Amino acid sequence: MKNFVLGFLATVLLILIVPLTYLRLGAAEVRGDVRAPSWESRLMRFARHASVTRSAQGIQNPLPHSDEQLIAGAKMYLDGCAGCHGRPGRPARNRIAYAPPPEFAHVGSPYREPELFWVVKHGIRRTGMSAYASFYSDQQVWQLVEFVQHMNNLPPAVFDAIQPKRP
Amino acid sequence: MKKFITGSSCAIVFLAIALAAYLVLGFMDVAADRRPSALEAGFMTASLEASVRRRAPQMQNPLANSDDTLIAGGKLYLNDCVGCHGGPGQPPSHFGATFYPPAPQFPSAGTQFSEAQIFWVAKNGIRMTGMYPQGASYSDSQLWSLAAFISRARNLPPAVVKSIQPPLSK
Repeated sequence: MKNFVLGFLATVLLILIVPLTYLRLGAAEVRGDVRAPSWESRLMRFARHASVTRSAQGIQNPLPHSDEQLIAGAKMYLDGCAGCHGRPGRPARNRIAYAPPPEFAHVGSPYREPELFWVVKHGIRRTGMSAYASFYSDQQVWQLVEFVQHMNNLPPAVFDAIQPKRP
Repeated sequence: MKKFITGSSCAIVFLAIALAAYLVLGFMDVAADRRPSALEAGFMTASLEASVRRRAPQMQNPLANSDDTLIAGGKLYLNDCVGCHGGPGQPPSHFGATFYPPAPQFPSAGTQFSEAQIFWVAKNGIRMTGMYPQGASYSDSQLWSLAAFISRARNLPPAVVKSIQPPLSK
């Protein structure tokens, strides 16, 4: 029994010390233009998704669905989000960055509305995604979320309303 | 010895299951507006810096050490970096603090990195941060001028500050 406990503790210690040493000695890759191995990005995507789902439990969209909400959301999106997340109707940019911002117009959103609401408000740690709670009201964030969810399937009236005006 | 190995194997299985459960059940906090512990943040920052020191080239800035270099870099900085990293003579960028890890505020806090290390970070970006690789957007020579500017952002010659000020807009 004593040997069992010793073996257990020694292994736990070793498993903690090895990665911490690896990190502290600067052995970890930090370049943003080098892709992570696919097992790593898949595992982290999965864990991130699980965490967002957990955090967004109980949040509900209080806004009625309407074209006005979509148009208001579109304006904020084109202003504040399109730089990283892409514009509807434009080709996807094949950018190497880790973690890459999702191109919503091409891949859609991996989240449901309450989860997207939570992400926009609180951001995602260790990515370029900011917490926007101090820039937008809850109502504005819901409008934004509404637009992101329907970006690839907009009512024609909304689509026309958000096209850039030609002089 | 046999019991020692059994204990060791059990520890491996136990830690693997604990880690998988932590990740899969969504316990890894991903909110950018809640900060991790000072211990974690400090350790990860030190690891990041160690990795940059290990990988970045050890060389001098090939550009002339002159006000012209600083001005060229300053103009690029005011165009593209200032939104997150803060401008000379301005309060720290609020936006730069809305993601995690937050963007370092060069004009107020300076940087520990050498010019070659700044060049390397600007060119390649930093994984798992908002620092986007700029190598596709700028030439090496532009990035070196930027590195010269950032490394002296806390202590710029007044002539440089004056000539990079944007014209007052009405």
